[in-house]
Amino acid sequence: MADEPLIQVKNLKKSFGNHEVLTDINFNVQAGEVVSIIGRSGSGKSTLLRNINLLETPTGGDILFHGKSILGEDVKLSTYRAKVGMVFQSFNLFNNMTVLQNVMVPQQTVLKRDAAAAKTHALELLKQVGMDPFIAAKPDQLSGGQEQRVAIARAEAMDPEVLLFDEPTSALDPEMVDDVLNTMTALAHTGLTMIIVTHEMAFARDVSDRVIFMNNGIIAESGTPDQIFGNPQQTATKEFLKRYLNRV
Amino acid sequence: MKKHWVARLGVLGLALSLLLGGFAAKPVNAASDDNTFKVGMEAGYAPFNWTQNTDANHAVKIQGSHEYANGYDVQIARKVAKALHKKVVVVKTSWDGLPPALTSGKIDAIIAGMSPTPDRRKTIDFTNPYYISNLTMVVRKDSKYAKAKSIADFKGAKVTAQLSTYHYQAINQIKGVVKEPAMNDFPAMRVALESGTIDGYVSEVPEGITAERANPNLMYIHFAKGQGFKTDASDTNLAIGLRKNDPNKAKINELLATISNKERARLMNEAVDNQPSTEKSGNWFMAIMKQYGPMLLRGTGMTLLLALVGTLVGFIIGLLVGIIRTIPKPKKLGQRGLRAVINWLLSLYIEVFRGTPMIVQAAVLYYGAAQAWHLNMDRTTAALLIVSINTGAYISEIIRGGIISVDEGQFEAASALGMTHLQTMMKVILPQAVRNSLPAVTNEFIVNIKDTSVLSVISVSELFFSGETIAGQSFQFFHTYLIVSGIYLIMTFTISRLFRLIEKHLDGPKDYNVMNNQMQVETPKIGTES
Repeated sequence: MADEPLIQVKNLKKSFGNHEVLTDINFNVQAGEVVSIIGRSGSGKSTLLRNINLLETPTGGDILFHGKSILGEDVKLSTYRAKVGMVFQSFNLFNNMTVLQNVMVPQQTVLKRDAAAAKTHALELLKQVGMDPFIAAKPDQLSGGQEQRVAIARAEAMDPEVLLFDEPTSALDPEMVDDVLNTMTALAHTGLTMIIVTHEMAFARDVSDRVIFMNNGIIAESGTPDQIFGNPQQTATKEFLKRYLNRV
Repeated sequence: MKKHWVARLGVLGLALSLLLGGFAAKPVNAASDDNTFKVGMEAGYAPFNWTQNTDANHAVKIQGSHEYANGYDVQIARKVAKALHKKVVVVKTSWDGLPPALTSGKIDAIIAGMSPTPDRRKTIDFTNPYYISNLTMVVRKDSKYAKAKSIADFKGAKVTAQLSTYHYQAINQIKGVVKEPAMNDFPAMRVALESGTIDGYVSEVPEGITAERANPNLMYIHFAKGQGFKTDASDTNLAIGLRKNDPNKAKINELLATISNKERARLMNEAVDNQPSTEKSGNWFMAIMKQYGPMLLRGTGMTLLLALVGTLVGFIIGLLVGIIRTIPKPKKLGQRGLRAVINWLLSLYIEVFRGTPMIVQAAVLYYGAAQAWHLNMDRTTAALLIVSINTGAYISEIIRGGIISVDEGQFEAASALGMTHLQTMMKVILPQAVRNSLPAVTNEFIVNIKDTSVLSVISVSELFFSGETIAGQSFQFFHTYLIVSGIYLIMTFTISRLFRLIEKHLDGPKDYNVMNNQMQVETPKIGTES
């Protein structure tokens, strides 16, 4: 079934205690699609992303991957997660490892690749993100932008089917943001499926196939970048974009 | 005579032993079944018993060591063993460890200058006395008390005696005496007497003879008949302690009856003559080292072994407990229940071993297990086991702290990459947690070096117990402990430096010129990228 969506999110709910963060989320992602999720802080964007990766357990609803629920008891979590990579706002490189080890070790432990293959793959990806001169450095010797590029290489090294980006540039100094965005743009052009939570409106507009605007725990509006940025229908979307687009 | 024992250990012991159940130890028959007669003593209470390096003067080898025991008690033990047609073996055990060692079957008899007090008779049996020792007063030769004939002559004198003994209570019989606080042991009292802090101390005659020979400035008083201390037979009599209903009791009493008072006096004088004394001439340090160097060295070796193995095994236990206790909640109900039970058991382990003194744990494991289920284990093995388990409880909490201090993002990143809990722990979290915990682990190591001294209660001759023995028989209280503390300091200092080096090594080079590092890894040829 070529047309079956890669990821289907159905009636997804998530509460922390009495606080309901996600009310009722429904959307599909096709293979090869690049989806940007935008919205105010606290609208539930990151929570949605973390639910897709099962870093949080949904309170209700279902998530299907290749048409099969990932919430069943018999689903092996680690196998699923290896196929759905994640890039964090705070990079989360392993502090006890060098740059090269950060990209090699997950391949070796999770995918059981031998050291030579893992290393070749790692060096190739590190070269693509421009971090190959720093393979022997420890994370705390790098700048934020450099760390994030290594984190992207690390996620790519697992040959995932989907990559989730949780505000990958929010913790970076402005001059480093472009490095990371360029890396992501290049990645988007390779045909990888990507779901990106971001505040970089220009990037969302230029790179995404589809943009989702979230507001108060629901998807308020979604459509092509042209629709959302050029002709938003909802008042909430308009107000939100007005503030951002004035700056762009 | 001497200190009261810790029978209380037994009660707590039995309670704890239920918790301890199932420890690895092979069941062995009680000590009495083989052809040896195992005698417990401190081997540091001259002239009754002491430790020496050779078998001179019919000394008996101390079990599990290269040293020999001798003294009045040892000579009596030899006679008893001969009458029973058994081979005599001396088990060197601290005073507090003697009663549990006897009741648990680790030894067959206590011949350690012990008096058959009513309290002691509740738990063990005693033979007829093998020595009757009267009270005397040790004074300075040049003092006005040197010519005393009656206890009444000590009016106004500053007098003390050993802590928790009837000697100390006997001071009350002297009218108008200045009763000084009780002191811990004879070497300390001798020092106090010589320095003039006290005018005399009450002891038994053998100690009087000993003090006189060891220090020419001291002498003991020969009280005129009827002018001395009034004493109770259960205090002055020294008897052999046996387990209740020991079938050999009658045979031993028969033998003791054949040893005349004259013979006993001869044995005591011989013991006083043979007891080790340190030459006063020359350098005190060299003198102690020459005579007791090997003993100190073995004690140091044992202390290091206990601390090293204990900390290492404790560290491994700590890591395992850390891994298990951080397992995330599984989805299946059954697994969740199992996880809850295991976590509960682990917290119980930590609470029990952190919440009770190591000396109690050692007594329970070594004596309690032998008493309750006839589990007999080698004392060094028992000591290593106790130190390891005890340290494990502490290090588990240290590692838990280390794990908590690792950034949450590290866990998330590892999970998001598909690592299992074990992989996350081994590859990512523990390397960082261990680095964070290292200073606290160093602390544990150093604490272990010092605190393993309590293991003398199960007859382990580590450094402090060796020092106690040497001080007890060389009468060089201050000097011996000065050397012992020096050895402790050298050990702890070396270890803290060593761990600092390890920490530095783990932190890697503080070189921010990261581009310089790239040549450490050879770059394989890779195709030109798109």
